[in-house]
Amino acid sequence: MMGQVAALQALVIGALLVWSSYGKLVGPLVGARARRTALKKFVGEKRAEPAFRAVGGVELLIGAALLLPPLWMMESLAAIALSVGFLGYLTYSRVASPDSSCGCAGSATAPVTWRTFGRAGLLLAAAVLASTADVGWWSAPGGAAIAVVLVEVMLFVALSSELDRHWLLPLRRLKVRLTHPLAATAAYDVPLATTQHQLLRSGAYRAVNSLLRSDIRDHWDEGEWRFVSYTATYDDRPATAVFAVPRLRYEPDEIRVAIVDDENGETVYRPSLLPVLA
Amino acid sequence: MTNTLDRRTLLTSAVLGTTATLVGATAMGSLAPETAFAARSQSPEPGAPDPNFAEGRVTARDGSMILVSGSDGRFHRIRLTGGTSVWKLRPTTLDQVKVGDGLYARGVLMPDGTLAAESIWVNIVNLKVHVTAIGKNVLYLDHSGSRIVGHVVPGTSAAVYNGKPAVSDLSMVKVGKHAQVIGAWRPDTNEIDVATIYAAA
Repeated sequence: MMGQVAALQALVIGALLVWSSYGKLVGPLVGARARRTALKKFVGEKRAEPAFRAVGGVELLIGAALLLPPLWMMESLAAIALSVGFLGYLTYSRVASPDSSCGCAGSATAPVTWRTFGRAGLLLAAAVLASTADVGWWSAPGGAAIAVVLVEVMLFVALSSELDRHWLLPLRRLKVRLTHPLAATAAYDVPLATTQHQLLRSGAYRAVNSLLRSDIRDHWDEGEWRFVSYTATYDDRPATAVFAVPRLRYEPDEIRVAIVDDENGETVYRPSLLPVLA
Repeated sequence: MTNTLDRRTLLTSAVLGTTATLVGATAMGSLAPETAFAARSQSPEPGAPDPNFAEGRVTARDGSMILVSGSDGRFHRIRLTGGTSVWKLRPTTLDQVKVGDGLYARGVLMPDGTLAAESIWVNIVNLKVHVTAIGKNVLYLDHSGSRIVGHVVPGTSAAVYNGKPAVSDLSMVKVGKHAQVIGAWRPDTNEIDVATIYAAA
């Protein structure tokens, strides 16, 4: 069976390399994709795209050679060399330019992580195994060998962050739909951010905006009002601006403001357009 | 605490107009912005660092004086006053500024070189993220390839969907979508407490 598994490696590696070359050769965004990789630092910004395309070309060539008969030893040796090259490049990328995209496979942008190294290592192991094959993958392998290779393919998929959106994210969404992990956050309390949102859109806030010296200093609720206070200056004297904001309604026009002198507690400014509550 | 309550009572009655201590002719001004007094000029010299702003990590605290070492190598002495507003996940009190915290401060540079703080934002972060997973009151976020754990604080964390006023219900945040998060960093970790998350729903 091991011989059959080894024979099937050419199919797996070939398919992976062809997929990988696709993102490096096809589409209008290849140049942008190339400049997000560590190649930009390695060969310079101008040569990043040609280098990226060249890597894609080599991948396509080796991938196609592996997929198509006849069976040559050279193909698997080239795949081993390419895998070693990938591992070296990933290490360089991780050290020299950790923020860059790996530019590994497909068209997605993905940073270099332990999964990227895992996949390159798995590719190397597969290439080494492929070099021991003495028959082609097209020579009718048995069911057991196909099962082993399917597990290997699943491992490749699991290690490819580019494919996460096709299986991992849907699984996580399903989990959220079933368990409702954030359901407990729903409450009747009005967040302070809502009050502030309303306050910033009110005439009262605009009227005294230039007197305010601080961000929100204190806030408290009383009945239908939420009070918010800021440090202010009035006539060069330290003061406090206090706003009364409707707590449960969105009525910016009803917001009231007063400025209170910090030293003697007198209200020094209160716009009169607003009705005074009895 | 009694002081705070007294003060709140005073301010409540002032703004609702239940006190008769309104003084001065300008006190009955209109709502027009021009009636407001011009703010003190705070504009820095072009090209020079803003003298009225400081940022960095708190390296020491002695009562109301905090020492901050800036990320640009500058060193700041910041004085907290009774009028300083402190944000640390939410508006909070002066004693919440701890050694190790990161902060942004705005205030007035005093002649002795200290910055009298008017506002301080402690550990505040503003991140554009990708929601990679959601757990029990926790959001797993990806920020340019870095993994960030966002803790949801019931009663404080709020969500803004499609630019509408904030609500406390975060359950419409979706895995796989982009979002923007304002939060408070937990110093020296990759964890934050979520203050507000802006998302599409």
